[in-house]
Amino acid sequence: MTRYLIRRLLLAIPTLIGVSFFVFLSVRLVPGDPAIALAGELATPEIVAQVREDLGLDDPLHIQYITYMGRMLQGDMGQSIRSRLPVVDEIALRLPRTLLLTFASLLVAAAIGIPLGIASSTRPGSMFDTGSMIVALLGISMPIFWLGLMLMILFAVLIPDWLSLTSPVLPPTGYGTWQHMIMPVTALAANSIALQARMTRASMLEVLGQDYIRTARAKGQYERTVVYYHALRNALLPIVTIIGLQFGTLLGGAVLTETVFSWPGIGRLLVDSIGYRDYPVIQGTVFVIAVGFVLTNILVDVLYAYLDPRIQYR
Amino acid sequence: MKHKTKRVFFVLGMVVSLLVMAWQPVVAQEGSTLTIASGTDIENTNIHIVTSSPSFSVLEHIYEPLFSMSPEGELEPLLAESIEATSENTYEIALREGITFTDGTPFNAEAVKANLDWVLNVDNAATFRFLLVVGGEPAEVEVIDDLTVQITTATPFAPLPAHLSHGSLAMVSPAALDEGSDFLATNAIGTGPYVLGQWDRGERVVLERNAEYWGDMPDIETLIFSVVQEDGARIVEIEAGTVDVAVRVPPADMSRLEDNPDINVEVTPGLRTIYIFFNTTKAPFDDVRVRQAVNYAVDQAAIVEALFEGAALESTAPFASPIFGYSEQTPYSYDPDRARELLAEAGVEEGTTLELYHPTGRYIQDALVADAVRAQLSEVGLNVELRTLEWPQYVPFVRAPEEENEVQFAMLGWGTPTVDADYALFALFHSSEHPPGFNGAFYDNPDVDALLEEARSTLDPEARLAAYDQAIATIWEDAPWLFLYSEIQVTAIRNNVSGFVVHPDESLIATGATKE
Repeated sequence: MTRYLIRRLLLAIPTLIGVSFFVFLSVRLVPGDPAIALAGELATPEIVAQVREDLGLDDPLHIQYITYMGRMLQGDMGQSIRSRLPVVDEIALRLPRTLLLTFASLLVAAAIGIPLGIASSTRPGSMFDTGSMIVALLGISMPIFWLGLMLMILFAVLIPDWLSLTSPVLPPTGYGTWQHMIMPVTALAANSIALQARMTRASMLEVLGQDYIRTARAKGQYERTVVYYHALRNALLPIVTIIGLQFGTLLGGAVLTETVFSWPGIGRLLVDSIGYRDYPVIQGTVFVIAVGFVLTNILVDVLYAYLDPRIQYR
Repeated sequence: MKHKTKRVFFVLGMVVSLLVMAWQPVVAQEGSTLTIASGTDIENTNIHIVTSSPSFSVLEHIYEPLFSMSPEGELEPLLAESIEATSENTYEIALREGITFTDGTPFNAEAVKANLDWVLNVDNAATFRFLLVVGGEPAEVEVIDDLTVQITTATPFAPLPAHLSHGSLAMVSPAALDEGSDFLATNAIGTGPYVLGQWDRGERVVLERNAEYWGDMPDIETLIFSVVQEDGARIVEIEAGTVDVAVRVPPADMSRLEDNPDINVEVTPGLRTIYIFFNTTKAPFDDVRVRQAVNYAVDQAAIVEALFEGAALESTAPFASPIFGYSEQTPYSYDPDRARELLAEAGVEEGTTLELYHPTGRYIQDALVADAVRAQLSEVGLNVELRTLEWPQYVPFVRAPEEENEVQFAMLGWGTPTVDADYALFALFHSSEHPPGFNGAFYDNPDVDALLEEARSTLDPEARLAAYDQAIATIWEDAPWLFLYSEIQVTAIRNNVSGFVVHPDESLIATGATKE
């Protein structure tokens, strides 16, 4: 197992080098000159040239890439064009906030989505099943930014209005207290809840139709034991895969959620930097997100082995 | 089963009571804190380097320029006391006495020279360096005595005080300048009514009142510029009362906010004019009748009403009304019959195909406006094809030199941050500014050239106004542009706040604000 882990981690290195190269190239292929973005459209050619030189954008691409990789190996991602602060600092400031949002949403989604899916699967075709699957469909269909704004209007404007409060029930935007988290986490989790509920239901229905479940029932075991002990464990594999993938989707969704709720995380940093053609920050942010993806994938693979003893890694 | 239900209720009860105990009501900060929901964070704290209006809005509370331009377009001395022309291209500026930067460095002639030279130094790559470059030559700054500075320009240059009122030329402590760019990017040491309290990047900037301020002490102790990017979220914030001011209200939300008794919606004319220029060197737009015909054929008022819900102003001059030198012209009336007549006179046949270039996503509703123009011109028998380009490709395209220039007519916008007509007219209509300059119309009228030169070389405001008046009337008649509209700014302010000023140059000024 340890050897497997080491091998996977080593294999991740070429992936990440590939990612860094791809990002490096793609930000430079997008039309728009960061020197002009930084200096503004009014700047004289003289100033634009000076800015370009300062940013090292005069060098040939391969030299720029080598410089960039050389610095990366020393843990230096360069300096933000916009704020002139080290990219590492910019990311270190914001990454924990995004992770907080992402993990909270993942937990909430799993805590609601999986039980909902199980409950539906044990009563297929019932009112409860149909109802919860309709709700799940809604959850998948609702765009995050729309749901976010609706929540905001509800908790910050409408409810205080109905109750004649002088202040909103929840702070509409920002970051800081646990109250700030409720709406963004709800908005971000809604989609995953729905997806996990549907996935759990499908996976459970398949397992519940198996012979060994009938055997378990025939032995006279409690229905609860059958469902949670025998069925769920075997149904978990696809669910874990989905959760792993969801982590990535949630990181992506965090870009939208962070924008709507002014949550100062890495997603918004990325969006702002793209608008500003802040190459070093774009590269750094995408790289960190890619690392997150790769690590999650490895983690999911490792979890497989725990969930299903038939899977062994060498 | 009963046992289990009990347990569930117990846990639920615990959770609810924990929540209740931990509940802190969300209250807007009381007293003398003013919170402004701004759309964008500041770029950094170096006022000589930043270029966006949200950055200037924040930093102009910390740094002050020599002169200030009032929202009414009046130039007033600020850190300077007066300016005088000692020869035709030399200006002597007397400075206010007894002012110190918040780090204790005295404000004096040396400080002014240090700042202007910093901006002029090409190595520092300051975008607004061009404000101090006249006739292609950088201005020369000399210290006469402790409180007198002399500025010499290559050619006479009346708009100099207006240029010195621009935020980018505000005064930074020379000691801070010596620390270098990295220091300036996160530290702000000026002479202004506020000091930088805290900058939570991407979140908010907190300013605290400068207890030692030399001028009128502001009433508000703490100013918070909170970054709320999403339009809808800013609206929710102002409705909920969690912020006192919300910028950039979308036109669609205006009427709803106006109905709210707790909120005032303020409409301020902006400094950016949107226009479509004609390439006057190419048929058919080398004929003034065709250019006028297009002006008659397009219903600007309808475009403003339909596409902006009134949140724009039909152009009555080649630049917006708050700018010094503005002279109101009668807009070309919407008269398709007159347009058809003029086109027939000029020999333009029905069904002539023209190409209209326009950017997309650069100005509010830009692509829709271009399409509206296309539709209206088809009414008078012109077949307009739209050519859409992304902004980074667009700029070099419309500014291509004459021999390579393929433009027939194209949409652009022009802001005038100095609030002075020289900036608005010289670059756009003087014959020395043909592309790659900004005079994309290749407009060339010796009378206008002479008037624009005269207006920039005399300090007498009356004489300048008279020259601009004549120049604008001529330009209006010559119609090198399809005159469209200028943008306006819509700001929502809670009605317990008074004295908050939205400047036409998009700055937000809280110095004179009070809050009940």
